[in-house]
Amino acid sequence: MVLLTLMAIVTIGVVRLRNLFAVVILGGIYSFLMASVMIMLDAVDVAMTEASVGAGISTVLMLGTLYLTKMEETRPAHTPLLPLFVAVVTAGGLIYGTIDLPPFGDAAGIIHQHVAPHYLQNSIVETSVPNVVTSVLASYRGFDTLGETVVIFTAGIAVLLLLKGRRPASEPDSNAAKARSRRRRPKA
Amino acid sequence: MSDQILTIVSWLFLGLGSFFYLVGAFGLFRMPDVFTRMHAVSVSDTLGVGFLITGMAIETGWSLNTARLIIILAIMLYSGPIATHALAQAALHAGVKPKLADNRLKKSRRISATREIAGSSNIQAKSSAPTKSRSRTARKSSSATRGKGRGQSSKR
Amino acid sequence: MEGLTEGLFMYMVAAIAILVALGLAVFRALAGPTVFDRALAANAVGTGAIMLLAIVGFLTGRPEFLDIGILYALLNIIATLAVLKFFRYGDLGHAGEEPKD
Repeated sequence: MVLLTLMAIVTIGVVRLRNLFAVVILGGIYSFLMASVMIMLDAVDVAMTEASVGAGISTVLMLGTLYLTKMEETRPAHTPLLPLFVAVVTAGGLIYGTIDLPPFGDAAGIIHQHVAPHYLQNSIVETSVPNVVTSVLASYRGFDTLGETVVIFTAGIAVLLLLKGRRPASEPDSNAAKARSRRRRPKA
Repeated sequence: MSDQILTIVSWLFLGLGSFFYLVGAFGLFRMPDVFTRMHAVSVSDTLGVGFLITGMAIETGWSLNTARLIIILAIMLYSGPIATHALAQAALHAGVKPKLADNRLKKSRRISATREIAGSSNIQAKSSAPTKSRSRTARKSSSATRGKGRGQSSKR
Repeated sequence: MEGLTEGLFMYMVAAIAILVALGLAVFRALAGPTVFDRALAANAVGTGAIMLLAIVGFLTGRPEFLDIGILYALLNIIATLAVLKFFRYGDLGHAGEEPKD
């Protein structure tokens, strides 16, 4: 609860601030708080993904983007009323959708009746992977995971190309090499 | 018997760790300057984390988790000084001057002579102005002090 | 919540202390006059997340989460160093203006 309040405060700060560098740092803080919430909810794998992607990779990518653009956010040209309306309607729909969900951790929920018992009982025999989540992701849904990986790989390459391509050609090589090594840091 | 002693010791360590962690956080909250705040955070990064992890390790006993705790402690003890050093270096490089005791008088005089916007950065940490205007004046004042800081350092 | 050790009360105290520290660090990140305050606060929030993870792991009797704490520690230092290196070597004047020196 406290964490969610802090997240809301950080979000308001992100919306209000105009200095994009500060916004990037606040985004990193938001990711860490979100990962803490995920740990509270016992979703450790999601927390790990959130921390590594949100606080690690995307911070660095955003910094690389900031290198190419300005530091300052321009004033929006339109009033924010229509986006606010859309956001409120969407949030209302989502909250309305959560009313029908079974209670959190309910073993008798519908989603736990379909294939989950099969996975839990047979996964070690069928795949000989000790962790059930890993067996589902890597064996039962192997092609799905492969497709996801391809998508993410393509996106990573595209982002790297975009961030690299806009340099002027007259720039000395050492500078470009430095920037490139800076971008490569998170992968290491 | 020894279990009880271990439990009491780990309670003690956890309490001390919480205390130092809170002290560091209050320092981060209350200190007037980037560098003094860094100093405060180092308290919670070394003493707070160290005591907390030691308390947890005592509670766990010898197991794999102890090894994990020790790895975490080692990483944080190594990375804390590196991060602090890089932060201080970057701050100095960008022209943020530490607030010195004799610097404050000169600074206030200089500011009142040149630009009054920069003066608000001294009070800024304590005032509760709305966030937007605060960040804007902070930016202006930091760019203003940057130019002046260079001249001052060459004078020294 | 069974399988709890006797040190539960102290873990609660530590968790509350870390939550308070997280709140203070978030305040500093929002109010910090310079970017370095924000970077420092981000570092502090990362540390707080690691400690909260460890404490909560012990609180719920599942300290196997500590592996992720190691990952967080590494990520934290990487993120902080990336931010600071960018700020030192990257081409940033404040507000898009040229540095005055």
